[in-house]
Amino acid sequence: MIAQLAFYAFAAILLVSAGMVVSARNPVHSVLYLVLAFFNAAALFLLAGAEFLAMILVIVYVGAVAVLFLFVVMMLDINFAQLREGFQRYLPIGATIGVILLVELGIVLGGWSLAPQSAGLRAVPIDPNVTNTVQIGRVLYTDYILLFQASGLVLLVAMIGAIVLTLRDRTSSRHQSIAAQLARTPADTMELLDVPSGVGTKGIGFLRPKVKEPAKVAQDNHGHIGHDNHGGHH
Amino acid sequence: MVEFFTTNPFGILILTVVKALLILGPLLVAVAMMTLAERKIMAAIQLRRGPNVVGPFGLLQPFADAIKMLMKETIIPTGANRTLFLMAPMLTFALAMIAWAVIPVNDGWAIADINVGILYLFAVSSLGVYGIIIAGWASNSKYPFLGALRSAAQMVSYEVSMGFVIVTVLLCVGSMNLNAIVKAQETIWFVIPLFPMAVIFFISTLAETNRSPFDLPEGESEIVAGFFVEYSSMSFALFFLGEYANMFLMAAMTTILFLGGWLAPFGIEPFTWIPGPIWFILKICAVMFVFVWVRATFPRYRYDQLMRLGWKVFLPFSLFYLVLVAGVLLAFGWLPTAA
Amino acid sequence: MGGTTDMMLPVPLSHYLAVSAILLVMGIFGIFLNRKNVIIILMSIELILLAVNLNLVAFSAALGDLAGQVLTMFVLTVAAAEAAIGLAILVIYFRNRGSIEVEDVTLMKG
Repeated sequence: MIAQLAFYAFAAILLVSAGMVVSARNPVHSVLYLVLAFFNAAALFLLAGAEFLAMILVIVYVGAVAVLFLFVVMMLDINFAQLREGFQRYLPIGATIGVILLVELGIVLGGWSLAPQSAGLRAVPIDPNVTNTVQIGRVLYTDYILLFQASGLVLLVAMIGAIVLTLRDRTSSRHQSIAAQLARTPADTMELLDVPSGVGTKGIGFLRPKVKEPAKVAQDNHGHIGHDNHGGHH
Repeated sequence: MVEFFTTNPFGILILTVVKALLILGPLLVAVAMMTLAERKIMAAIQLRRGPNVVGPFGLLQPFADAIKMLMKETIIPTGANRTLFLMAPMLTFALAMIAWAVIPVNDGWAIADINVGILYLFAVSSLGVYGIIIAGWASNSKYPFLGALRSAAQMVSYEVSMGFVIVTVLLCVGSMNLNAIVKAQETIWFVIPLFPMAVIFFISTLAETNRSPFDLPEGESEIVAGFFVEYSSMSFALFFLGEYANMFLMAAMTTILFLGGWLAPFGIEPFTWIPGPIWFILKICAVMFVFVWVRATFPRYRYDQLMRLGWKVFLPFSLFYLVLVAGVLLAFGWLPTAA
Repeated sequence: MGGTTDMMLPVPLSHYLAVSAILLVMGIFGIFLNRKNVIIILMSIELILLAVNLNLVAFSAALGDLAGQVLTMFVLTVAAAEAAIGLAILVIYFRNRGSIEVEDVTLMKG
């Protein structure tokens, strides 16, 4: 009884927030509604007994992917009013296709039935005495190990791709070279002078900071331009 | 009478609410007292007296502060997004509270003793970033926005190594249930075999809760007060409460994962006379003390150093240690049998 | 319709399927509605994948077969990778052109 009420409540919020994702005026609101949608989907997962997936959904989607979306939406200075120009124009065609698809799905939903032998065709029958996580672990690392490795590769490629696409080494940014800092010795940077009293700067002249081989920095032009390293460069 | 609370839906509801109040009431008092304790400890470290005017030893200071906060006006900037601006502190506060649903105070004493307890904690703590991002964005002002971006990048970075630390502990336990994690430490607390991971976890919790030396999101010397510049009165107080409740949560997580939860040290006679919940509270207090100690001792990190520490030091090291622990468990046949 | 002996769902399977069908339609509707805004299109794709996941989990619970949940994990992985790559492309596109209008992508040199 409570579980059913919870299902309808979560499903309703899920659908409403999904609607707001696609129709919200402000993209930041869209992302926040997306977060709400994921959250309620996780609740529906929980009600279906997929507790591990529910938590993973929250951790991966809400904790990482949606933050990424939010970051991009907030950081890019986009004229969103301009992007909404075609909204009215595309509404009829979008609605038509949506309704057609919904009707089709409704027809499918009304007319299907399970194959009588479906119980025997189960790939991994659920054992109600073992927790969900343990069961997933048992098959994920044995029967589905190749797919698991493949999905790891997908993530690796995605990671490399994202880095390659967005990484730009700005010549103006000043990186910290920890090795160079640690390798500094007093002799490289410090000079002790005997200044006679009463002479002032006339006696020793103006002192500039010691900079070693300043020309070399400009030469090895591999992205580290503009270091403020005081010691030798490599 | 007992059946009413275990079978009737309303009885279960009442029982759960009572349990929640039993956790949250003391938690809020502890948060209030923590603000005082923090000021007192920092004062002692810096050879000052700290608050000592309101009440004996300044004990009523937090309540005076709370009353002051309540009396002030909630200011909403004209350019702000009203709904989100007011929602952000509530979200932060609520998230810091709901995580306590799964924390076991004693053997089986949790509101919800769920199978995926540690994942739930991890999920809730990863949501904490939203309160900050929303606050920074909704304020529609430069400093809060910068603070929010910093904080989001920081929390996401440190979560990864925190995840690896948690996985290492899970390898040794073979269960995601928090009760089982504590029970697995009956022979030895995980802080001893997994000491480097405990250190990484503690430092990551500092970064996760935006505490010094990682308090860049609110670094008052550079971005004024970060994401809550525009907040005042009760909305500010909610942020404040949420942040401290989060610290308590992280201390509780450290206690459960590494310090043996409610277990008495060594499990020997004089220590076992003291009941479990007292041990649990004592351990949380010890971790909280270290939080304050660190704050009074270390200067603030620079932002690029913070990112470097997270991605180039903690992440590779925790990954290495995870593989090492897995190898050792496998080689010596110490892998736990899954229940 | 639906349901074997070891049904683990609180409601009939068809209710889950209806929810995920509406979610799918909303995702597709979102793609058509926001043809200019790539960010919303990416979010709509996430909604579609969420609908897929919901279907997989519902069937997994209704049929007592864990394979559906394992497959959901793979879909999650792919969806996360897709979001990361999509947003990376979006960011460099914005850097080069100063807007994120999809229609401009047809211009090869810009």
